[in-house]
Amino acid sequence: MRNKNRSKLDRGRTFRSGSAFLLAAAGLIIGAAALYAAVGCDLNDPDRDVKRLFPESTGYKTLYVSITKRGGEELLRKIEARLGDKFKGLFETADVPYTMYEIYKGADLVGYIHGVNQKGTYGGLQVFLALDLKGIIRGFYFQKLTSRAAKAFRIPAFGDQFLGLSLEDFYRYDVATGKEEPFGPVSRIKNPDPASEQDFRATLRATKKNLILTDEFLLGNPHLKFFKG
Amino acid sequence: MKKISIFEVAYKNLLRKKTRSLLTILGIAMAAWVLVSLFGFNKGYETSLNKDIDNLGFQMLVVAKGCPYEAATLMLKGGTGLKYMKEEIAAAVAAEPEVEGVTPMLMQVVFDPNKGESGGISAFLGVDPASYPKLKSALPFKAGRWFSEPQAMEAVFGYEAAEFEQREVGDLYLIPEKEVEVKVVGVLERTGTQDDGTIFLPIRTVQRVFALPDELTAIGIKVKKEADIKAFEDKMYKLPDVQVVSLSQVKTTIMTLVSTARVMVFSIALIAILIAMMGVINTVLMSVMERRQEIGILKSMGAMAIDVFKLVWLETIILCIGGGLIGTGLALLTARLTDVLVRNLLPYSPSGGLVAIDVKLVLMTLGVVTAIGLASGIYPSWKAARMRPLDTIRSEVES
Repeated sequence: MRNKNRSKLDRGRTFRSGSAFLLAAAGLIIGAAALYAAVGCDLNDPDRDVKRLFPESTGYKTLYVSITKRGGEELLRKIEARLGDKFKGLFETADVPYTMYEIYKGADLVGYIHGVNQKGTYGGLQVFLALDLKGIIRGFYFQKLTSRAAKAFRIPAFGDQFLGLSLEDFYRYDVATGKEEPFGPVSRIKNPDPASEQDFRATLRATKKNLILTDEFLLGNPHLKFFKG
Repeated sequence: MKKISIFEVAYKNLLRKKTRSLLTILGIAMAAWVLVSLFGFNKGYETSLNKDIDNLGFQMLVVAKGCPYEAATLMLKGGTGLKYMKEEIAAAVAAEPEVEGVTPMLMQVVFDPNKGESGGISAFLGVDPASYPKLKSALPFKAGRWFSEPQAMEAVFGYEAAEFEQREVGDLYLIPEKEVEVKVVGVLERTGTQDDGTIFLPIRTVQRVFALPDELTAIGIKVKKEADIKAFEDKMYKLPDVQVVSLSQVKTTIMTLVSTARVMVFSIALIAILIAMMGVINTVLMSVMERRQEIGILKSMGAMAIDVFKLVWLETIILCIGGGLIGTGLALLTARLTDVLVRNLLPYSPSGGLVAIDVKLVLMTLGVVTAIGLASGIYPSWKAARMRPLDTIRSEVES
């Protein structure tokens, strides 16, 4: 499987030849290892992960988008309204580069993969969704999760609860209160560890944000009609 | 009758051929401009580079023998293979007279099964809140501060580590495997080094959490500027069960490159000076030859050879000092522009100003240019001084 675009990770690792010398010098100094990839939310191993989430796929295309580039402040406000919450903190900003994967079977587009970073209680969560062409979740995956209940969150049964849901379902879920009115499919998703309620809600928020961004940037907003702002 | 000074005569002589004098002054100004800019660049680049190297914090690292000391090795080993040395070694190293400062460090890695599909490793660097910030003073904070005390359950995140873990000041962080909570008290700015991906903890906290009392993986050493780093390195090699990783070789290599550049700068400056000198000699000599009859009349009216010599020499010095002043002025005015241009041309530029022009450099340039004037004026002045009045007047009549 061939990645049609050069991954951002690769670009992040590419040193400018001139600065490599000093950076190499810096590298001689002990510090903890640079064990963190270039920041963003890329699949760790796109070839392997795409094949796992879309076994029928034969290729994929990587797209890089950001709210700043696609519409700036106005778009950010629209997205926040759809999410029902503000973008918060140092790292949830309009200029975050989102890496989106279009999945192909031969020449045919068969789906999408997109991941988002989300702040959890003890660390970052990276929630990836595999979506079909209508934006319905067909795969749910924590690429990274720092939580006391990480084990419980990563069992396949937890991710399976998200399958078949779409943004239409998540619009009724209020990320600020953690409630769904009226009771619906999102409310049926069970928290595997009640003690980690904050991480559970962070997961639902990440999923809703992921679906909105995918709807906006890849699907052409077919779910916007369900949004009752 | 108004008595005019020799300076006034020399000045008026130069004004008689305005274009020629102006072009000569411009030639000298160019040479002075090149001289100031090149030496200013040489000094600025070297200073900035030295500062960048000093900002790396330590010139030397003492690690337990066989312990991986940089990211690539650690990753290749899957986070294993850390070796330890006793804390007392840090005290012994600190007592050496060549040492300006030491900072003990303890690196630990844990396997995090929730990082990626098949897990990954998370690394923590235990540092001493008293000595580490002093040695790594160039680490700027985006938010927050260093630890409140050596045993604090606190963490400082490098920029990328913070972004990856979505941590901000005041957040909690859970050390994987150990299930220990620490509070984030600082997030560093992006530095472009592996500090960006580092999670710093107080060294005593790492020793306690990982049950490694009195153990270290590395000691960062800053050596005094006047110390013989090579001799100190040799001394460190004699310590048992440690290895020495020195930045002095890197620094020496960089400084060798800078020295090579300095030789090139000197060569270019020398060529510029020689060209300027030839230009001045040519102009003044031409002026003397054109004024043969005039000089003959001056001498026949009683002017001594020394008077003629002084007159021509003064003309040369006026040209050179005028050119020198204009050149240094231009160099000062265009220093910022030169900085930007050079920065765009060089593949690597250190932070800070690349062109450093100070009073000393300006005075040195004016001195050099005056010396050029004095030296290049000798031959034309001597030639003019030894002209015989009768010969010069006769040659004019014959021609």
